[in-house]
Parts: sequence; C-alpha cells; structure tokens
Amino acid sequence: MNAWMGMILISFLTAILMLFIFRFTSNQEGIRQVKNKIKAHLLELRLYKDSLSLSFKAQGNILRYNLKYISYSAKPLLVMIIPLILILTQLNLWFGYESLTPGQETILKVKIEENQNLLDTNLVLQPSTGFEIQTPPLRIEEEMEINWCLQAKEKGVHDLTLIVEGQRITKKVAVDQKPLSKISPLKVRRNFINELINPGESPLPRDLPIKTIEVNYPAKDIKLFGWNIPWILGIPPWLIVYFVLSIILGFVFKGMSKVEI
Amino acid sequence: MNHIDRREFIKLSLAAGSLLALESSGLAIKSFGNRETPQKVLILGLDGIDHRLLQAWMKEGKLPSFQKLASQGGFLPLRTSIPPQSPVAWSNFITGMNPGGHGIFDFVHRDPERYFPVFSASETTEAKKTVRIGNLILPLSGGEVINMRKGKAFWQILEDYDIPATVFKIPANYPPVATKQRTISGMGTPDILGSYGIFNYYTTETKELKADIGGGRIHEVSVIANKVEAKLPGPVNTFKSDRPESEIDIKVFIDPINPVAKISLQNQEFILKEGEWSSWKRIDFRMIPTQSVSGICMFYLKQVRPNFKLYISPVNIDPGRAALPISTPKGYAEELEKIFGPFFTKGLPADTKALDNEVLNDGEFLEQDDLVLRERLEMFDYELARFSSGLLFYYVSSTDQRQHMFWRLIDKEHPSYDPALAKKYGNTIENIYKETDKILAKATEKADKDTVLIVMSDHGFSPFRRSFNLNTWLKENGYHTLINPFKQGREDLFMNTNWSRTKAYSFGLNSLYINQKGREAEGIVKRGTEKEALVREIAQELENFRDPKTGERPVLRAYIAKDVYQGPYVDIAPDIIVGYNHGYRTSWAAPLGRIPKEIIEDNKEKWSGDHCMDPEVVPGILLTNRKIEAESPALYDLTPTILKIFGVEIPKEIRGKPIF
Repeated sequence: MNAWMGMILISFLTAILMLFIFRFTSNQEGIRQVKNKIKAHLLELRLYKDSLSLSFKAQGNILRYNLKYISYSAKPLLVMIIPLILILTQLNLWFGYESLTPGQETILKVKIEENQNLLDTNLVLQPSTGFEIQTPPLRIEEEMEINWCLQAKEKGVHDLTLIVEGQRITKKVAVDQKPLSKISPLKVRRNFINELINPGESPLPRDLPIKTIEVNYPAKDIKLFGWNIPWILGIPPWLIVYFVLSIILGFVFKGMSKVEI
Repeated sequence: MNHIDRREFIKLSLAAGSLLALESSGLAIKSFGNRETPQKVLILGLDGIDHRLLQAWMKEGKLPSFQKLASQGGFLPLRTSIPPQSPVAWSNFITGMNPGGHGIFDFVHRDPERYFPVFSASETTEAKKTVRIGNLILPLSGGEVINMRKGKAFWQILEDYDIPATVFKIPANYPPVATKQRTISGMGTPDILGSYGIFNYYTTETKELKADIGGGRIHEVSVIANKVEAKLPGPVNTFKSDRPESEIDIKVFIDPINPVAKISLQNQEFILKEGEWSSWKRIDFRMIPTQSVSGICMFYLKQVRPNFKLYISPVNIDPGRAALPISTPKGYAEELEKIFGPFFTKGLPADTKALDNEVLNDGEFLEQDDLVLRERLEMFDYELARFSSGLLFYYVSSTDQRQHMFWRLIDKEHPSYDPALAKKYGNTIENIYKETDKILAKATEKADKDTVLIVMSDHGFSPFRRSFNLNTWLKENGYHTLINPFKQGREDLFMNTNWSRTKAYSFGLNSLYINQKGREAEGIVKRGTEKEALVREIAQELENFRDPKTGERPVLRAYIAKDVYQGPYVDIAPDIIVGYNHGYRTSWAAPLGRIPKEIIEDNKEKWSGDHCMDPEVVPGILLTNRKIEAESPALYDLTPTILKIFGVEIPKEIRGKPIF
C-alpha cells in the first residue's frame, strides 16, 4: 500500500470516528437550533441593512450564537483530543519518516542524564551486519549527548545494541523498507507521557543513565502530482494532508451519517 | 460568460492535474530535436590535453584507446585560438569563428571609460525597476544574466534542422544560450556569490590568516568548551538597501579526545572524522521571509587539534533549485540532480585557489578532483547510454586543472619542483591522461559505423616557470607612467597610473591596449597612423626583449589584432595579443593592473602549468575515427565539420573549413 492510499484510508476512518464521537457527545439539537438562529440573523442583517440599529442587533446575535455554537462543540472536541493524540503519534511513525537506504549515513544520538560525567559514561555501541559504525563516539557536553555516525548496509529492521553499565539495550534501525512502514526514530525512558507520545518501541529501563536513543531518519516527502507538499509553519506535510483529507471526508459523510456539525 | 457545470469543472480540474503531473515528470516538455539522423557525432572535449604529452604516452603504449583511434582515423595537433585561453578557444569551437566574430578575447576585458576589468564571458544586471519600503527593496522586474559571446552556437544551428544535441558542460556557455537542446553550462558558471569560486576556511591557527587571498576567505575562530561557532557568508542581500552580506550560522561540536566533529547548520547535522569530506549539503540563504537563495557545498574537516581547521567549498548553484540559469531546458539540470543528487555546477569545479593558498594540500585537492571526475563519469555513462541520434558533446575539466596544478612535479626546471612531492604525485598528469583513455574506450565501444567520434582539446600545456610583468615592461620602456614611482607595486587597478602620460596598458592574460584618444577615458594616442605606428613599435620591441636570467625571448610573438581577427567585433579587441614563449606567461599581478618592480620573476606558485602562451607553443589535439583531410586543422574547423556531417548548410559567417 502506498502512502496516499494509507493516508486516505486513515483519514476516512478518522472522519467516521470523529463524526461518531461528535454525534454522541454533542447536543445535536442545540447545534441545529443555534445554526438556524445564526442563519436567521444573517438573513436579518441582509434584509435590514438600511437600519443601523437592527444591523447592530443582528450582529450581536450572530456573535452570541457563535459563542454558543463553540460551547456546544467544546465537549465533543475535548473528547476527540484523546483519540486524536493517539492517532497522531501512530501516524507520525508511519508517515513522518523514510527508512534509510543502503549506503546512507545517519547520526545515532544517545542522551545521557545531566548528573553523569560524559567522558566516564560506560557506553559501548556494538557492531552489526546491518550498519557500519563510521566514527568513534563524539561526546557533546553542552547537549549531554554521545553521537555516532552510522552507515546503513543491508535491508531490514536491525537491532542496534548498546552496552550501558554492563546492560544490553537495543534500538531498531530501519533500512530500505516499504514506502508505508513504521519507523521509530526515538526510544525513550519508561514514563507514561513519554511512552504515550513515542509508542514506536519498548521503553528504556529507568535505572540506566540514558534518557533517549535517537536515530536521525530523513523526513518523508509526500508528493501530489510530482510536487512535494512543503512544510508550512513547521507543520509536516503528512499532518497537513491528514487534516485536509479528514475535514473533507468528514463533510462528505456528515450528510449520510446525519450528524450536525 | 460560458457556464461550466460541476461535471465539466471536475473534468477540467483532472486534466489540469494530469498536465501538472506530466510536466513534473518531464514528459510534456519537448526539450530537443526529434529527427533520427543517419549519422551521429560523438565529441569528447578533453580540456587542455597536450599533443606532445599524448603522443609520448601513446608511443609508450600507456594509452591504448587513443592509439587505436589514431590508427583508425587520424591524430593531429589542433590549432588553438589567439590567445589560447579556454573561453576564447571554446568560443572558436562553438561558433566556427575567431574572436573578431564572437567577441571573446580574453578571460578579462576592460571598461575603457573606467580602466576597470570586467568578465568577458557574461554580464549580470540587477532588476531595473524596484520599489522601496523602508529598508526593503522589492524588485518589480527580474535581473538579467547575459552571455556575452556573439554568433550562433553549432547546436542552435542543428536545432534549426531538428537535429538533437546534448552539450554537456561546454565552457564559454554561461548562461546557456537559448535553445531547446539539452545543454548544461560549464566553465564560466559562477558560484552562488557570482564569482569564479570563493571557499571559506575556519582556523584557530593565526599564522594562516592572510589579509588578501584570491578565491577564498580565511576566518579566525576559537574553540570554546569543545565548540566552534562561525558564520558562512552568502550572497549580498539586494533586497535590503544597505546590501548586507547574507550568512548562515554554523556550529561545530568537537569530541574532547577523538578526532571527530559534528557540524550543525540550518536543519541538518553531520559528523566528520578528521581528514574526511562530507557529501553535498544543501543550504538556503534567507534574504526576506519569502525569498531565499539555495546553494550546495561540501565540508572538509582538515584538522581537529591542536588547531581546528575546517574548509567549506565554494557554494555552488543548486542544480535542483538553480538560482541562476545553468541549463536548457531548465529541467535538464533538475533531471540530472534527481538521478545523481547534487553535483558540481561551478565552472571550474576543483578548488585550485585552495591548493595555491595551501588551505588544501596536494592529496586533499586530488581527493576533491576525484569527486568531480567520479561525478562526471557517472553522468557520462548516463548520457552515453541514451545517445541514439544527433550529437553528444561531453566535456572533462580535470585534465586542465590537474595540469595547471601538478606541472611543477614533472618539470625539474620549475622553481616549485619538489623531488619528494614529485615522487608521490609526479604521475598525477599521466594518471589523468589514462583516465581519459578509459573514457575514450567507452565512447569507442558506443560508436558504431555511423558514428563520427571526435576527440579534441582546446589547447595544450606548457610549463609556467617565469612570470612576465607586462605593465612593468611597458613602464620600463616608457609606454606607461606612474604618478608616484615610490608606490610602484603597491596599487592595484592602475591606481598609481598617470594616464595623461601613458600610451599603453595591459589587462587580462594576453591583452595589451593602447590608451587611445576618444576610446579610453583619458586616452592620449590618436587613432590612425600614430596608433598604428605605436602598435607595431611595441609589438616589435616585445618580441625582441630577452630575459636577463635565461637569455630567452619571453614573447614569442605579439599579434596585432586587426591582422589576425576578422569579423564585426575587431574594433573592441585588444590592440596587441601577447603570445608568450615556452616557460613564460603573464604574471599574476599584471592581469588586474598591478605594476611590480621586476619585469620577470620566477613563478613559485603551485599553478605551474599553463596555456596562455603563443598558440604555436600549446596546440590542442584532434583524433577521429575518420581520415582527416585537412593538413593543419584548427578549432573553428570543427564547427563546419559537424554541420557537414549532418548535411546542414554552413552559414557564411563561419570561418573554418570542414576537416573531412
């Protein structure tokens, strides 16, 4: 399945889910009435445009019912945030990154606890057939990081092994995967929020002096008729496409599902 | 207004979408001629391959493909241009005319109104209409880059007959002249600053900080807490009224013990080991929030400690998002970029200035030029594989650049000869000739019985042992007068010249001009008999002059422009073209209007081989798989030869004659 097919499917399911949530968590009758009121006052505004006092009154009413509409929408929106965050964190894994290509170089970053002495940290990166370690460790005290340059060698999802304080920990590295593959750039320490936001891999044990292990993957391009959809104000292309498609599909299916938005 | 219903609108939208898709895939663009030609022409342009060296190594059996081709057809020296400088020589080849016809006389021309040097090959003008809002200057029209070469290029003539041509990196074609043929510009293409290439070098070693080095900028940096912070300068920001230099912040993190560093700039970071080159890195110089200039550069971590040394190559025009025109159609450069990734676009890709200034050493320079060569070979394979009709011209620059920089190691008489380095790098030139032999082997394999294969160079090479200060010679012989003789040698651009008492001056590498009344701003020599007599007198005296150290004549021949040039641009030619003898060339000071004290000095630079001499000293080469009928072919004879092979009428302006 290519990225577009996957994105359309997910957007469709999201739209259906959101319509479903909206229908059962919102005051549908209230929304219908409020929308009718807004329409009526818009009509009033048009009919009595020669009367300043009526126009002002109509505008005031439009504002009032808009606020009411927002209040009716707040509850379903709050309910929707939780599944949406869970969906977005998953989507980021599927649509946010490209896997490495054989021969491509990347940086492996291991973030260490602030109270550690970087030079004394007992940390060894073990060689693997899937990638080649290109450089000795580069220790950056300002960032409390140890970096290596890795070169991808073979297709596959490889386990990168680090020995930390005598304990083995692994991080997945994806090389030459299908266009729609799950790529996890960051492995985090065990913590509810951390794990919720970075669900790609099992967490790091708490007793180690390592906070995160990160592999730099290239950001995934999403093309529309050969044109690369750009980042807009720091928002990645997949997120733009996802929101646009979900909104369009939501409006397409709202009539069929008889949901008042 | 026509009514369009919803269904029609959707159909139109889909059609527009499909067109967009086709355009982006390049399928909808008719990029070049379509005619299937019974004959094909495959030309290898090997810059600077020297007839004598080639002949010697062919005799020794080191170049089997050249030998094979010579035995099939012919091998002759190829007469080069007057003067034998690349932009002039390649313009002769491109147009079939001499400089009187195409108007390129030297790397550097001069503005007689200001006695100021100007690039001969192209001219860049800024937007004519602008609007100013506070500190911002917004252009209402685009600026322009103009190719100054006159006359029609041979691929433009072929296009008129629908004969396809791909012309890869031919020099003297920046910006590429208008055509639907596939062309990409070569020598003459600037870096992103609009110069022939400015590198940046960051060092903590203060003794390396020279105030004035050509072709590069040296920045003093400090390592604080294993971190270096610096700025990479970019193009001048013409969107702002004070025209500040744009710049990008660079951070370098160094390991406290290991010889390794991470470089971080814009949204990218990469790790280099000491002595390692990065791949191409794409950077954007932000001008205003909506406008940026995109470029590509390579990083070389020369040393981590005891002194930190980081070299950044000149920022090349990004072929994927070219800020300046480098190919026709525009999509050709993008097509190559999509297949091969970013590639060298600067005209002379290897950084000879960095080697000359000892920022890169011999080995490091060769590593860089190997990258150029490898990149070119990959593209050659690609173009050769799809060559099926018409003409393919392919250009190699490494032959020229390596001979310029490594001649000192094959010439024991050269002032820069170093026996230890000669042992290590003395075979550099021979090796590049062998590389071209491999390229030729591929071309020969591709050439069927209907393919005319031509291997040519624009000029040969000669040692550059002694530097001739032409302006100093003019001064010593009473043709050039200084305002303050005590300041001699300290001022550039003739700032110390008394023009009211100066009869002649030299700008460029082989050009000598008379300070002519009515043409130059402060001219004193009258046009007509006075000028003609002076020209002949100076030419004669130059040819008679002898080097006091060697007893040789530095000037083999001084050519008078109107005797050797024909065409509509003879009037703007230099008055005398100086043809230097074997071992001699104009000095580094003279071309930009400096007047050192000595007339002749040893050339102690690494730039030790040259071709800006007399054409007879540095002929090029011509090999073909057809019998050459011309006895003494010249560069401009190849143009009508190409046209004749395709049965195209030869325009009357072309001066050359077909060679078979």
